[in-house]
Amino acid sequence: MSDAPDTTAVADSPLDAFAEDLAQRLGALGHIVEFGTVRILVDRDAWVDTILEANRELPFFSWLSAIDWSKETEVGEGVDDPDQMEERFEVICRLSSVETADAAQFVASLPKEDPTIGSLAPHIGGASWHEREAHEMFGIMFDGNDHLIPLYLPDDFEGNPLLKSYPLISREVKPWPGDVDVEGMPETADDADEAAAEDEEVAE
Amino acid sequence: MTSPAMIHRSESAVSVELQTPDMTLNIGPQHPSTHGVLRLVAKIDGERVRDVEPVIGYMHRGYEKLSEVRTYAQITALVNRIDWVSGFANEVPFIVGVERLMGVEAPERAQWIRLILSELARISSHLVFMSSYPLELGATTPLMHSLREREYILELIEEVTGGRFHPNFNRVGGVKPAYGGGSTTKKQSMDLPAGFFQRTAEAMDRMDKICDDIDSLVTGNELIKMRTVGVGIIPADKAIEYGLSGPNLRASGVAYDLRKADPYLTYDQVEFDVASASDGDCYDRYVVRLEEIRQSVRIVRQAIDKIPSGPLQTKVPRVLKAPKGQVYSRAENPKGEFGYYIVSEGGKMPYRLKIRSTSFSNLSILPWILQGQLVPDLVAIMGSLDFVLGDVDR
Repeated sequence: MSDAPDTTAVADSPLDAFAEDLAQRLGALGHIVEFGTVRILVDRDAWVDTILEANRELPFFSWLSAIDWSKETEVGEGVDDPDQMEERFEVICRLSSVETADAAQFVASLPKEDPTIGSLAPHIGGASWHEREAHEMFGIMFDGNDHLIPLYLPDDFEGNPLLKSYPLISREVKPWPGDVDVEGMPETADDADEAAAEDEEVAE
Repeated sequence: MTSPAMIHRSESAVSVELQTPDMTLNIGPQHPSTHGVLRLVAKIDGERVRDVEPVIGYMHRGYEKLSEVRTYAQITALVNRIDWVSGFANEVPFIVGVERLMGVEAPERAQWIRLILSELARISSHLVFMSSYPLELGATTPLMHSLREREYILELIEEVTGGRFHPNFNRVGGVKPAYGGGSTTKKQSMDLPAGFFQRTAEAMDRMDKICDDIDSLVTGNELIKMRTVGVGIIPADKAIEYGLSGPNLRASGVAYDLRKADPYLTYDQVEFDVASASDGDCYDRYVVRLEEIRQSVRIVRQAIDKIPSGPLQTKVPRVLKAPKGQVYSRAENPKGEFGYYIVSEGGKMPYRLKIRSTSFSNLSILPWILQGQLVPDLVAIMGSLDFVLGDVDR
């Protein structure tokens, strides 16, 4: 495996055609097909209308969530190329068919300073809990959902835990893998060499 | 007080017109029928539930956040703890998704082993339902029978993976090479334990038998039927709107099964019927699950015949890095559609992992379905949805 992104590897043509057709009919901003996964990019002002329109042919409401795209991050590895990336939230909603394998992710970008988007909850009952979760985890506001009370978190909890700026306390206290684990992570140079040598050995 | 709109479905209790002011009834978080720690704040009017607010999150472990600081190989150890009743089945969609990202394909034999263990997990999960659900309705005998038989399945899973509930058996590019191995320097390619298929075939015969037993104990039972037939009806359109999947969706007349509609592993090479029913009530949800055990037995028998010999793992680099991209991978778990949305930024760890857990969506219909129901039906309806709180809270 190379590090270079090879996004067209699994994208077969019927899926491309499906995505292109769907995006065109919905008047979406664009579409991305990678690894057998369809993403339809939607303008945030057209969010509710587009989803409801798509919901007619993809009736199954699977899930709704968000991604926090941040240049700097307190947890994990962060993004590949911070300079090129625009900081934003992405709200993702997945709809699928209940007859075929057809499905699509609908994605809208929200600016960090105004993370507000229309609510699907009044139209799609299943969206209510997912929106509450996205609200408490990312701080995204869903316009029209008047029941955005915490779902998982205690009532007095402060902060939005899934934000990249929110530290993972257990990691701060004790870095992985912890003192008791004497085996180094495979990322160390020695280990990688050893692994490469071993791989050759196996290949023979 | 009772408005006409509130009177529907099972209409047998409370016929005396009493003035009953609204009362708030707190059910849980410690309650035998809540399968973990679920709290329901119900506003009731006499014996009728007017409004219900489920309170979840008592078991929230933050797996989505934890996954952001773990490598792909480490995450399988987390995800099998989401729905602990069918731990193995949770690993499959994740590892299939990672393999799709990395462009790795597991060897044929590993795929079949995953399929067999997934079906064993399904049988085991449904047997838990077959024990707990009648118990909640007052029938204690099926519990003993089902849990006894489940032990045979768990023993098979333990024999192969080393764990009864948390197998952590899937690896990127195959399955764990050696049971009880753990050596990082010697790559011994050991196979499944000797006689495993023989014992699995024997266990499948037992499963056929226990299905017949449960059938005779529960299916035609007058008392069970009175508690479940026509109770908690979920129409197909509501099930779809709330994202119900698995047996809960199929009981409502939507015969949608990802193993058929969007085949993964080697499900396209086995024959089985999608169990479904049409009424969408508690009884149908039970019937569908019982039939699914029988179909799983059918699948496992075919798999034992068809499994090819060969390696259990394909060659992958020691340091696993996924290329940049986003992938959604889903599987038909015992409880329904289980999926992972993996966002990779080209590193060793996912940038974001969204876990689409089945019970979360299955449970989200509670406020709708419980409205206007009788308090005694509440337990019957909740039990029929077959949720696990770990799967709800993640």
